[in-house]
Amino acid sequence: MSLPGWQALHAELEPLGVTVVTVALDIDPAKAQPWVDAAAPTHPSLVDSAHITNELFGFNNVPMAVWIDETGTLVRPAESASIEGRDTTSPLPEGLPDRVVELMTEARKIPDIADGYRAAVLDWAEKGPDSEFALSPAEVIEASLPRDTHHAEAAANFELGQHLFRTVGKDAAIPFWRAAHALDPTNWTYKRQAWTLETTPEGEPSDMMQPPTEVYEGNWLDDVRASGGGENYITRPSFL
Amino acid sequence: MILDQLTVSPAAFADRTGWEAKPEGLCKGDICVPAPEAVATDGQLDVQVLSQKLGMPLVSDSARGIHALGPEANGRSLTTAVAPELELPTLSADRNPFKLSALHGRKVLLVAWASW
Repeated sequence: MSLPGWQALHAELEPLGVTVVTVALDIDPAKAQPWVDAAAPTHPSLVDSAHITNELFGFNNVPMAVWIDETGTLVRPAESASIEGRDTTSPLPEGLPDRVVELMTEARKIPDIADGYRAAVLDWAEKGPDSEFALSPAEVIEASLPRDTHHAEAAANFELGQHLFRTVGKDAAIPFWRAAHALDPTNWTYKRQAWTLETTPEGEPSDMMQPPTEVYEGNWLDDVRASGGGENYITRPSFL
Repeated sequence: MILDQLTVSPAAFADRTGWEAKPEGLCKGDICVPAPEAVATDGQLDVQVLSQKLGMPLVSDSARGIHALGPEANGRSLTTAVAPELELPTLSADRNPFKLSALHGRKVLLVAWASW
Protein backbone atom coordinates (compact mmCIF):
# COMPACT_ATOMS: atom_id res chain seq x y z
CA MET A 1 0.00 0.00 0.00
CA SER A 2 1.52 3.32 -0.99
CA LEU A 3 -0.56 5.86 0.91
CA PRO A 4 2.54 7.27 2.66
CA GLY A 5 4.10 7.73 -0.77
CA TRP A 6 1.09 9.61 -2.11
CA GLN A 7 1.02 11.74 1.04
CA ALA A 8 4.72 12.58 0.58
CA LEU A 9 4.06 13.52 -3.04
CA HIS A 10 1.18 15.74 -1.94
CA ALA A 11 3.41 17.54 0.56
CA GLU A 12 6.03 18.03 -2.14
CA LEU A 13 3.66 19.28 -4.83
CA GLU A 14 1.16 21.31 -2.82
CA PRO A 15 3.31 24.46 -3.09
CA LEU A 16 3.28 23.98 -6.87
CA GLY A 17 -0.52 24.03 -6.94
CA VAL A 18 -1.12 20.29 -7.06
CA THR A 19 -3.42 18.48 -4.64
CA VAL A 20 -3.30 14.72 -4.33
CA VAL A 21 -6.70 13.16 -3.61
CA THR A 22 -6.81 9.49 -2.67
CA VAL A 23 -9.97 7.38 -2.93
CA ALA A 24 -10.21 4.02 -1.19
CA LEU A 25 -12.37 1.63 -3.20
CA ASP A 26 -13.50 -0.36 -0.18
CA ILE A 27 -17.00 -1.60 0.44
CA ASP A 28 -16.12 -1.59 4.14
CA PRO A 29 -14.44 1.72 5.07
CA ALA A 30 -13.15 0.15 8.28
CA LYS A 31 -10.77 -1.99 6.20
CA ALA A 32 -9.16 1.13 4.71
CA GLN A 33 -9.06 3.11 7.95
CA PRO A 34 -5.90 1.58 9.47
CA TRP A 35 -3.92 2.39 6.33
CA VAL A 36 -5.16 5.96 6.45
CA ASP A 37 -4.44 6.32 10.16
CA ALA A 38 -0.88 5.10 9.56
CA ALA A 39 -0.29 7.52 6.68
CA ALA A 40 -1.79 10.51 8.54
CA PRO A 41 -2.74 12.25 5.31
CA THR A 42 -3.06 16.00 5.04
CA HIS A 43 -4.48 15.55 1.54
CA PRO A 44 -8.16 14.72 0.96
CA SER A 45 -8.45 11.02 1.74
CA LEU A 46 -11.83 9.70 0.63
CA VAL A 47 -13.67 6.39 0.67
CA ASP A 48 -15.91 5.09 -2.10
CA SER A 49 -17.81 2.10 -0.74
CA ALA A 50 -19.93 1.85 -3.92
CA HIS A 51 -17.00 2.04 -6.39
CA ILE A 52 -18.71 4.94 -8.17
CA THR A 53 -15.30 6.40 -8.96
CA ASN A 54 -14.60 3.43 -11.24
CA GLU A 55 -17.59 4.17 -13.40
CA LEU A 56 -17.10 7.94 -13.48
CA PHE A 57 -13.39 7.93 -14.34
CA GLY A 58 -12.87 4.47 -15.86
CA PHE A 59 -10.66 2.82 -13.25
CA ASN A 60 -10.47 -0.98 -13.48
CA ASN A 61 -7.68 -1.74 -11.01
CA VAL A 62 -5.69 -0.11 -8.22
CA PRO A 63 -3.62 1.91 -7.96
CA MET A 64 -4.79 3.99 -10.89
CA ALA A 65 -5.02 7.76 -11.29
CA VAL A 66 -6.29 10.60 -13.46
CA TRP A 67 -4.85 14.09 -13.78
CA ILE A 68 -7.21 17.08 -13.66
CA ASP A 69 -6.12 20.62 -14.50
CA GLU A 70 -7.12 23.92 -12.86
CA THR A 71 -10.22 24.22 -15.05
CA GLY A 72 -11.57 20.83 -14.05
CA THR A 73 -10.50 19.19 -17.31
CA LEU A 74 -8.94 15.74 -17.41
CA VAL A 75 -5.50 15.86 -18.98
CA ARG A 76 -4.72 12.18 -18.49
CA PRO A 77 -7.26 9.32 -18.42
CA ALA A 78 -7.39 6.46 -15.95
CA GLU A 79 -4.09 4.59 -16.04
CA SER A 80 -1.91 2.73 -13.58
CA ALA A 81 -0.06 4.96 -11.16
CA SER A 82 2.83 4.29 -8.83
CA ILE A 83 5.02 6.46 -6.70
CA GLU A 84 7.16 4.01 -4.77
CA GLY A 85 9.39 1.41 -6.36
CA ARG A 86 9.14 -2.24 -5.37
CA ASP A 87 11.75 -4.78 -4.38
CA THR A 88 11.63 -7.39 -7.11
CA THR A 89 15.05 -8.97 -6.68
CA SER A 90 15.60 -9.91 -3.04
CA PRO A 91 15.25 -13.62 -2.32
CA LEU A 92 11.81 -14.61 -1.09
CA PRO A 93 11.61 -15.73 2.53
CA GLU A 94 12.16 -19.44 2.96
CA GLY A 95 9.42 -21.77 4.09
CA LEU A 96 6.54 -20.04 2.33
CA PRO A 97 3.73 -22.24 0.99
CA ASP A 98 4.15 -23.09 -2.69
CA ARG A 99 1.04 -21.12 -3.64
CA VAL A 100 2.37 -17.99 -1.93
CA VAL A 101 5.74 -18.35 -3.68
CA GLU A 102 3.96 -18.66 -7.03
CA LEU A 103 1.83 -15.62 -6.26
CA MET A 104 4.76 -13.47 -5.15
CA THR A 105 6.75 -14.56 -8.19
CA GLU A 106 3.93 -13.48 -10.47
CA ALA A 107 3.49 -10.21 -8.58
CA ARG A 108 7.16 -9.41 -9.11
CA LYS A 109 6.55 -9.47 -12.86
CA ILE A 110 4.21 -6.47 -12.56
CA PRO A 111 6.08 -3.59 -14.21
CA ASP A 112 7.61 -1.09 -11.79
CA ILE A 113 6.65 2.28 -13.27
CA ALA A 114 7.28 4.40 -10.18
CA ASP A 115 10.30 6.39 -11.38
CA GLY A 116 8.84 7.27 -14.75
CA TYR A 117 5.43 8.07 -13.32
CA ARG A 118 6.84 10.34 -10.65
CA ALA A 119 8.96 12.20 -13.21
CA ALA A 120 5.91 12.76 -15.41
CA VAL A 121 3.82 14.11 -12.53
CA LEU A 122 6.62 16.50 -11.54
CA ASP A 123 6.92 17.70 -15.14
CA TRP A 124 3.18 18.42 -15.29
CA ALA A 125 3.27 20.15 -11.91
CA GLU A 126 5.95 22.53 -13.19
CA LYS A 127 4.86 23.06 -16.80
CA GLY A 128 1.09 22.57 -16.71
CA PRO A 129 -0.39 22.49 -20.22
CA ASP A 130 3.09 22.79 -21.73
CA SER A 131 4.07 19.44 -20.23
CA GLU A 132 4.50 16.77 -22.89
CA PHE A 133 2.45 14.48 -20.64
CA ALA A 134 -0.67 16.69 -20.59
CA LEU A 135 -3.13 15.51 -23.22
CA SER A 136 -5.83 17.41 -25.09
CA PRO A 137 -9.49 16.61 -24.32
CA ALA A 138 -9.80 14.58 -27.52
CA GLU A 139 -6.66 12.63 -26.67
CA VAL A 140 -7.93 11.94 -23.15
CA ILE A 141 -11.21 10.52 -24.45
CA GLU A 142 -9.44 8.46 -27.09
CA ALA A 143 -6.98 7.09 -24.54
CA SER A 144 -9.62 6.21 -21.96
CA LEU A 145 -10.27 2.51 -21.46
CA PRO A 146 -12.78 0.72 -23.71
CA ARG A 147 -16.38 0.51 -22.57
CA ASP A 148 -18.60 -1.67 -24.72
CA THR A 149 -21.96 -3.15 -23.81
CA HIS A 150 -20.33 -5.93 -21.81
CA HIS A 151 -18.26 -3.48 -19.76
CA ALA A 152 -21.33 -1.33 -19.09
CA GLU A 153 -23.49 -4.30 -18.16
CA ALA A 154 -20.76 -5.51 -15.84
CA ALA A 155 -20.72 -2.11 -14.13
CA ALA A 156 -24.48 -2.28 -13.57
CA ASN A 157 -24.24 -5.80 -12.16
CA PHE A 158 -21.40 -4.83 -9.86
CA GLU A 159 -23.21 -1.76 -8.56
CA LEU A 160 -26.39 -3.75 -7.94
CA GLY A 161 -24.31 -6.33 -6.07
CA GLN A 162 -22.73 -3.58 -3.97
CA HIS A 163 -26.15 -2.24 -3.08
CA LEU A 164 -27.48 -5.68 -2.15
CA PHE A 165 -24.37 -6.42 -0.09
CA ARG A 166 -25.04 -3.35 2.01
CA THR A 167 -28.82 -3.65 2.25
CA VAL A 168 -29.46 -7.43 2.24
CA GLY A 169 -26.21 -9.30 2.69
CA LYS A 170 -23.35 -10.92 0.83
CA ASP A 171 -25.31 -13.88 -0.50
CA ALA A 172 -27.67 -11.55 -2.34
CA ALA A 173 -24.72 -9.81 -3.99
CA ILE A 174 -22.85 -12.87 -5.22
CA PRO A 175 -24.95 -13.70 -8.35
CA PHE A 176 -24.53 -10.14 -9.62
CA TRP A 177 -20.82 -10.04 -8.84
CA ARG A 178 -20.34 -13.36 -10.62
CA ALA A 179 -22.10 -11.84 -13.62
CA ALA A 180 -19.88 -8.76 -13.48
CA HIS A 181 -16.77 -10.94 -13.42
CA ALA A 182 -17.94 -12.90 -16.45
CA LEU A 183 -18.97 -9.83 -18.42
CA ASP A 184 -15.78 -7.85 -17.77
CA PRO A 185 -12.88 -10.09 -16.76
CA THR A 186 -10.48 -7.17 -17.33
CA ASN A 187 -11.86 -5.29 -14.34
CA TRP A 188 -9.78 -6.27 -11.33
CA THR A 189 -11.67 -4.08 -8.86
CA TYR A 190 -14.85 -6.11 -9.41
CA LYS A 191 -12.98 -9.34 -8.82
CA ARG A 192 -10.58 -8.39 -6.05
CA GLN A 193 -13.26 -6.68 -3.95
CA ALA A 194 -15.52 -9.74 -4.15
CA TRP A 195 -12.75 -12.29 -3.66
CA THR A 196 -11.37 -10.59 -0.58
CA LEU A 197 -14.77 -10.68 1.10
CA GLU A 198 -14.67 -14.47 0.79
CA THR A 199 -11.08 -14.99 1.90
CA THR A 200 -10.68 -12.45 4.72
CA PRO A 201 -11.30 -13.94 8.18
CA GLU A 202 -13.72 -12.02 10.38
CA GLY A 203 -12.07 -9.02 11.98
CA GLU A 204 -8.83 -9.39 10.01
CA PRO A 205 -7.27 -6.92 7.55
CA SER A 206 -8.29 -7.40 3.92
CA ASP A 207 -6.74 -10.49 2.40
CA MET A 208 -4.61 -9.62 -0.61
CA MET A 209 -3.67 -13.19 -1.58
CA GLN A 210 -7.22 -14.05 -2.70
CA PRO A 211 -6.87 -17.80 -3.22
CA PRO A 212 -9.48 -19.98 -4.97
CA THR A 213 -12.92 -20.19 -3.39
CA GLU A 214 -16.04 -22.23 -4.03
CA VAL A 215 -18.01 -19.05 -4.69
CA TYR A 216 -16.16 -17.49 -7.62
CA GLU A 217 -14.63 -19.11 -10.65
CA GLY A 218 -11.49 -16.98 -10.55
CA ASN A 219 -8.75 -16.06 -8.12
CA TRP A 220 -5.83 -13.65 -8.26
CA LEU A 221 -3.03 -15.96 -9.31
CA ASP A 222 -4.90 -17.97 -11.92
CA ASP A 223 -6.61 -14.92 -13.40
CA VAL A 224 -3.35 -12.99 -13.68
CA ARG A 225 -1.78 -15.95 -15.45
CA ALA A 226 -4.79 -16.30 -17.74
CA SER A 227 -4.53 -12.65 -18.73
CA GLY A 228 -0.92 -12.99 -19.81
CA GLY A 229 0.94 -12.81 -16.53
CA GLY A 230 2.03 -10.06 -14.18
CA GLU A 231 3.63 -8.22 -17.09
CA ASN A 232 0.12 -7.41 -18.39
CA TYR A 233 -1.51 -6.71 -15.04
CA ILE A 234 -1.43 -2.93 -15.18
CA THR A 235 -2.74 -0.29 -17.57
CA ARG A 236 0.66 1.11 -18.41
CA PRO A 237 0.65 4.87 -19.12
CA SER A 238 1.39 5.58 -22.76
CA PHE A 239 4.59 7.42 -21.84
CA LEU A 240 6.11 4.40 -20.09
CA MET B 1 -27.23 4.19 -10.61
CA ILE B 2 -29.41 2.34 -8.09
CA LEU B 3 -33.17 2.80 -8.47
CA ASP B 4 -36.21 1.42 -6.68
CA GLN B 5 -38.54 2.46 -9.48
CA LEU B 6 -38.22 2.92 -13.21
CA THR B 7 -38.48 6.69 -13.13
CA VAL B 8 -35.89 9.18 -11.93
CA SER B 9 -35.78 12.93 -11.46
CA PRO B 10 -33.68 14.85 -13.99
CA ALA B 11 -31.62 16.34 -11.15
CA ALA B 12 -30.78 12.98 -9.61
CA PHE B 13 -29.93 11.53 -13.01
CA ALA B 14 -27.64 14.46 -13.81
CA ASP B 15 -25.92 14.30 -10.42
CA ARG B 16 -25.09 10.63 -10.79
CA THR B 17 -24.36 10.32 -14.51
CA GLY B 18 -23.56 13.79 -15.83
CA TRP B 19 -26.39 13.52 -18.41
CA GLU B 20 -28.65 16.57 -18.27
CA ALA B 21 -32.18 16.84 -19.66
CA LYS B 22 -32.21 19.91 -21.91
CA PRO B 23 -34.67 21.18 -24.55
CA GLU B 24 -32.44 19.74 -27.27
CA GLY B 25 -32.27 16.31 -25.60
CA LEU B 26 -30.16 14.42 -23.09
CA CYS B 27 -26.75 16.08 -23.05
CA LYS B 28 -23.33 15.36 -21.63
CA GLY B 29 -20.33 17.40 -22.69
CA ASP B 30 -20.64 18.09 -26.40
CA ILE B 31 -23.03 15.19 -27.01
CA CYS B 32 -26.81 15.59 -27.10
CA VAL B 33 -29.22 12.72 -27.80
CA PRO B 34 -32.76 13.70 -28.81
CA ALA B 35 -35.18 11.82 -26.57
CA PRO B 36 -38.47 13.67 -26.13
CA GLU B 37 -40.18 10.47 -25.03
CA ALA B 38 -37.82 10.20 -22.04
CA VAL B 39 -39.63 12.96 -20.14
CA ALA B 40 -42.99 11.99 -18.65
CA THR B 41 -45.80 14.45 -18.05
CA ASP B 42 -44.81 14.77 -14.39
CA GLY B 43 -41.29 15.81 -15.38
CA GLN B 44 -39.71 12.52 -14.31
CA LEU B 45 -37.45 10.60 -16.69
CA ASP B 46 -38.41 7.13 -17.92
CA VAL B 47 -35.48 4.88 -17.04
CA GLN B 48 -36.25 2.31 -19.73
CA VAL B 49 -36.15 5.04 -22.39
CA LEU B 50 -32.89 6.37 -20.92
CA SER B 51 -31.46 2.86 -21.07
CA GLN B 52 -32.42 2.45 -24.72
CA LYS B 53 -31.48 5.92 -25.95
CA LEU B 54 -28.18 6.27 -24.10
CA GLY B 55 -27.04 2.65 -24.28
CA MET B 56 -27.14 2.26 -20.52
CA PRO B 57 -27.80 -1.36 -19.52
CA LEU B 58 -30.56 -1.87 -16.98
CA VAL B 59 -30.04 -4.78 -14.58
CA SER B 60 -32.77 -5.73 -12.12
CA ASP B 61 -33.26 -7.82 -9.04
CA SER B 62 -36.90 -8.50 -9.81
CA ALA B 63 -37.63 -10.20 -6.52
CA ARG B 64 -36.56 -7.15 -4.55
CA GLY B 65 -37.66 -4.50 -7.05
CA ILE B 66 -34.20 -2.95 -7.26
CA HIS B 67 -32.54 -1.83 -10.46
CA ALA B 68 -29.10 -0.65 -11.52
CA LEU B 69 -28.67 1.57 -14.55
CA GLY B 70 -25.16 1.14 -15.86
CA PRO B 71 -22.95 3.66 -17.63
CA GLU B 72 -23.36 4.43 -21.32
CA ALA B 73 -21.62 2.01 -23.65
CA ASN B 74 -20.18 4.47 -26.12
CA GLY B 75 -16.98 2.64 -26.87
CA ARG B 76 -14.77 4.51 -24.39
CA SER B 77 -15.12 4.97 -20.65
CA LEU B 78 -14.98 8.75 -21.07
CA THR B 79 -17.31 10.68 -23.35
CA THR B 80 -15.98 14.05 -22.24
CA ALA B 81 -12.76 15.32 -20.68
CA VAL B 82 -14.69 17.49 -18.25
CA ALA B 83 -14.06 15.88 -14.87
CA PRO B 84 -17.32 14.70 -13.32
CA GLU B 85 -18.31 15.92 -9.90
CA LEU B 86 -17.39 13.46 -7.20
CA GLU B 87 -18.68 13.75 -3.66
CA LEU B 88 -17.47 11.18 -1.16
CA PRO B 89 -16.94 10.95 2.60
CA THR B 90 -13.48 11.54 3.97
CA LEU B 91 -11.77 8.81 5.95
CA SER B 92 -11.78 11.03 9.01
CA ALA B 93 -13.57 10.46 12.27
CA ASP B 94 -16.53 12.59 11.23
CA ARG B 95 -16.70 11.23 7.66
CA ASN B 96 -17.26 14.75 6.35
CA PRO B 97 -18.24 14.82 2.68
CA PHE B 98 -15.73 16.24 0.21
CA LYS B 99 -16.49 17.56 -3.27
CA LEU B 100 -13.88 17.34 -5.99
CA SER B 101 -15.08 20.69 -7.34
CA ALA B 102 -13.75 22.32 -4.17
CA LEU B 103 -10.30 22.00 -5.75
CA HIS B 104 -11.21 24.03 -8.86
CA GLY B 105 -8.25 26.28 -9.62
CA ARG B 106 -5.68 23.67 -8.57
CA LYS B 107 -4.23 20.69 -10.37
CA VAL B 108 -5.52 17.40 -8.96
CA LEU B 109 -3.95 13.97 -9.00
CA LEU B 110 -6.88 11.65 -8.20
CA VAL B 111 -5.59 8.26 -7.09
CA ALA B 112 -7.72 5.13 -6.56
CA TRP B 113 -6.40 2.56 -4.09
CA ALA B 114 -7.86 -0.14 -1.86
CA SER B 115 -7.10 -2.17 1.23
CA TRP B 116 -7.32 -5.38 -0.77
